[in-house]
Amino acid sequence: MAVLCSLAGSAGVLSADRIYTNPNPQAELKQLFPSAVAFSPLSGDPLHFKAYAVEPKTNPSAPPLGIAFWTTDLVPQEHGYHGPIHLLVGMNMSGTLTGVVVAYNSEPYGYFSVEPPKFAAQFKGKTFRDPFRVGGDVDAVSRASITINSAARAIRDSSRIVAQKLLPPEVTK
Amino acid sequence: MGASETWGEILRPQALDLSLFAAFVALAMVSFFRKSVRLKYVTLTAAVGYLGFYKSSLMSISDVFRLADLSLPPFTYSLAWYLFSGFVVVSTVLWGRLYCGRVCAFGALTQLMDAVLPKKLRVDVPPAIERRAIWIKYGLLAALVLYYIVTKDLARPVQYAEPFWMFSLFGTTPMWIGLGLLLLATVFVRNLYCRFLCPVGAALGIISNLTVFRIKRWSECKTCKICEKTCEWGAIRGPKIVKTECVRCDDCERLYMDQQKCPHWIILRRKSDKLFSSA
Repeated sequence: MAVLCSLAGSAGVLSADRIYTNPNPQAELKQLFPSAVAFSPLSGDPLHFKAYAVEPKTNPSAPPLGIAFWTTDLVPQEHGYHGPIHLLVGMNMSGTLTGVVVAYNSEPYGYFSVEPPKFAAQFKGKTFRDPFRVGGDVDAVSRASITINSAARAIRDSSRIVAQKLLPPEVTK
Repeated sequence: MGASETWGEILRPQALDLSLFAAFVALAMVSFFRKSVRLKYVTLTAAVGYLGFYKSSLMSISDVFRLADLSLPPFTYSLAWYLFSGFVVVSTVLWGRLYCGRVCAFGALTQLMDAVLPKKLRVDVPPAIERRAIWIKYGLLAALVLYYIVTKDLARPVQYAEPFWMFSLFGTTPMWIGLGLLLLATVFVRNLYCRFLCPVGAALGIISNLTVFRIKRWSECKTCKICEKTCEWGAIRGPKIVKTECVRCDDCERLYMDQQKCPHWIILRRKSDKLFSSA
């Protein structure tokens, strides 16, 4: 939280009403795309990072490995039990999720719902076409259903927006 | 995507929860209005089983904190939560802390413990101590709200200041040890947590000052002590019922209706007997 606050000043340049999340989460991006050597800065509409397997400066024509994005940029209206849950999602160019990082949450029962690594791990390998239904393909957690439902919805809705707007048309048709 | 979902799609996954909760509320209210002992125990068992271990929906201190920063969950996706909290607030305004007495799964659990455990284990708290101890929960509520406003930390209060996490079965070793000690103490002092410690109960106690439909008292209640002795919540002091401590358990109201025990009826009967015998 202290880290988030100290970096908050630099977020002002991005957008006045953007929910603050780290605009340069290098470690988390690396976690989502271990084979990437470079990442584009947070930019575009919708806001996203591109992951590259080769340095784009030396080889500008190389296609990106995938896309990473904050759910809070894509679906800022999505709230859990107590405010938005900050999730960084990685997706490859064929629409499969390479992983999810739970960066920050203010949920009362976050400690046993979205914080354990098991929660984020279950989204790896899903595609934007999956149902993301809690109790179905997403594990339900008693006493934290509002939290889990919100996180699953945020990942589903934001991946669908990103797939539709940023993936090649032959993938999303 | 959120906006494009139809009401059918939004309601379908919540329909079962909403109808089961409505059925539970109906059971709780029937048991309350009929003053039935048997239905009350059915309600308490359903509260522990359904609202407790199955759904794990209880009012929490985090629901109180939310009022401090007005951070509410999305309405359309949290209908069951809105129905639940709406019922808790409205029922407290109308009848007092009815939620504490028969809806809260933890309160229901300690009341069931009380019904099952042998009475000789029970220690009666001296009234002088009891009258002071009921204030602990208000102090705890104030301290926790202050703590939340300063730190914005929701996780620690729900882990260490209330035992409601137990129904999710996710606890660390210190949390389970704390819960064990609390339940052990509850074996000797009935409803210990609800009466003296629960910050949610304190918040509802504050709202219960508004109670619309209060428990009737007879003029005989000024001298009679039957109800005061029966009340397991320490909510009766002489002629007065302490609204903020009363959880509408029905024990005293059942006594009022008992024409063999309540002096109000006994005096009436004797008077009429005398009237008829002298005539």
